[in-house]
Amino acid sequence: MRTLTRLLPKLAVGLVMIWAVATFTFFLVHALPGSPGDAAYENYILSGMSPEQAQAKVSSIYGFTSHDPLLVQYRGYLWRLLHGDLGQSISYSGVPVTHVLRAAAPWTIFPALAGLVIAFLVGTSFGAVAAVKRSSRWGGLLSMSGSFFAGIPVFVLALVLAFLFHTEWNLLPYGDTSDVTLTPGFNGPYVVSVVQHAILPVATYALLGYGAWLLTMKSSVISVLGDDFILAAELRGLRPRTRMRYVSRNAILPMFTVFALSIGYLLGGSVLVENVFDYPGLGNVLFQAIGARDYPLMSGAFLLITVAIVLANIVADLLYTVIDPRVRR
Amino acid sequence: MTTWRVLTRRPGRVIGLLILALFALMAVFGPYLYAGPLAVDPNAIYSAPSAQHWLGTDFAGSDVLQEIVIGARYVLETAALSALFAAVIGTLVGLVAGYHRGPTDSVLMRLTDFVLTIPGLPLLIVLSTIWSFGQPYEMAIALGVTGWGGVARAVRSQTLSLRERGFLEAARGLGLSSRHVIFRELLPNLAPFVAMNMLLAVIAFIGAEVALFFLGVVPFSSSNWGVMLNQAVFSGGAMDSPAALSYLLAPLLCILLITIGIVLFLDAVDELFNPRLRERS
Repeated sequence: MRTLTRLLPKLAVGLVMIWAVATFTFFLVHALPGSPGDAAYENYILSGMSPEQAQAKVSSIYGFTSHDPLLVQYRGYLWRLLHGDLGQSISYSGVPVTHVLRAAAPWTIFPALAGLVIAFLVGTSFGAVAAVKRSSRWGGLLSMSGSFFAGIPVFVLALVLAFLFHTEWNLLPYGDTSDVTLTPGFNGPYVVSVVQHAILPVATYALLGYGAWLLTMKSSVISVLGDDFILAAELRGLRPRTRMRYVSRNAILPMFTVFALSIGYLLGGSVLVENVFDYPGLGNVLFQAIGARDYPLMSGAFLLITVAIVLANIVADLLYTVIDPRVRR
Repeated sequence: MTTWRVLTRRPGRVIGLLILALFALMAVFGPYLYAGPLAVDPNAIYSAPSAQHWLGTDFAGSDVLQEIVIGARYVLETAALSALFAAVIGTLVGLVAGYHRGPTDSVLMRLTDFVLTIPGLPLLIVLSTIWSFGQPYEMAIALGVTGWGGVARAVRSQTLSLRERGFLEAARGLGLSSRHVIFRELLPNLAPFVAMNMLLAVIAFIGAEVALFFLGVVPFSSSNWGVMLNQAVFSGGAMDSPAALSYLLAPLLCILLITIGIVLFLDAVDELFNPRLRERS
């Protein structure tokens, strides 16, 4: 019950945010000089269609009837959005945007999630070590590595990895999701190829998230180490390992805010990661859509990325409530 | 005195400061050093580093070092300007929210959450379809307006903790106006904290602006590191040919060096303002 009362406002804020982004992309598309719908409409007229036919065709392809007042179009857009209809893509001539996004989503979600998990495991353990050994040279180096990877731009990381592991050492392939000569399916060579092609993107996502986990864990552990119950544990003569278990359990709590932030970074960075590694995920779809002036697809991809981040925030908050009894009370 | 001792205690911190100073000099004096348009030499395309071209040449035979030095101004000027915009907006929002608390705080923090949640880079590339923000100040406005969320949140929490200190209670007890308390009492105490956040923001904004040029979604109005990377990767074939190595690596290394410089320098700043981190012997 308490969980619910805490969660509802968050849900409401999330919904408002999704609505705001939807509204923003709608009006953005309409602020563009010469909307794609108008251009297509003129083309149909020129190719000899009657105005009614052209109008019907445009509204079936672009998802909005371009001669209605803006507010009516906006209402129609929101209504279709609520029914999961994002209109039709222009560059994929008439394929529903939702289909394009559904095909692309796994290639973003799985590598990003794998990177997130790796970054979490490595980052939090190194963060704890960096906190305990903060006066030693190794502790200093560890936290420096955290700040470094937290600061380094995504595409620099991706380009350096691609350059080193592909061009220079020729260890790993990149470009697309697998070797194009193989037949997709559950067969050995194809699976191996998919995994090989995924290593560099996953590594980029992992290094991207690593810094935030390490730095947050470090400062969290430092503050828990100063707590009275740790001093008490020390005085009771508990083994360092037991003491460390107390510390890590209490220090892990602030990590949930990092979880939400990381998801944002990773999905936002997917545009660059997928661009460098030529990976057909959501970020690449968004980038291609902008290049092709495919506005329905562009707004759809942008909306989906935002919705994913909003959902991750809500999930992080829910987990926090489940794990920390103090929030529930 | 303490500043100097903290700075020199680890050699890395001095190195960080030196790196930053080097790039600052490059940005200020670089364009004067190489006046005039880039020299193009069709006989020396992708030539290897030599005495004449320290970092080799690019696809048109232009000197890579020259391009790096000239490009530094755009990159650093824009990042600094963006960080300034973000710091001004973020500090104002964070201060007002943290000082007034209550409904003002809720509204401003929801707004901040909103700015933080919407993914920055996708937003910027979507925005680039209606507004080609290639000029330095335009780019700075675009980056600053979308990137102040982190500063606002940090300033708010710092304000909340400063608020409980004695000197602020005294100021309020004396019946001084909130304007006086915010700008004369709170702001000076927040200044070093804001400066630290600004340095962090500079790293992020360098990444963002170079990324936008790298992706090629903003017009190439001037030569800078992002344009170099775009041309090296997408038209120069630098990922496949070893000849273009220095053209690809030079801008990457510059960005890495600045990142390292800021991180090393921040280590000192962090210790100065965060006595809890100082080593206990």
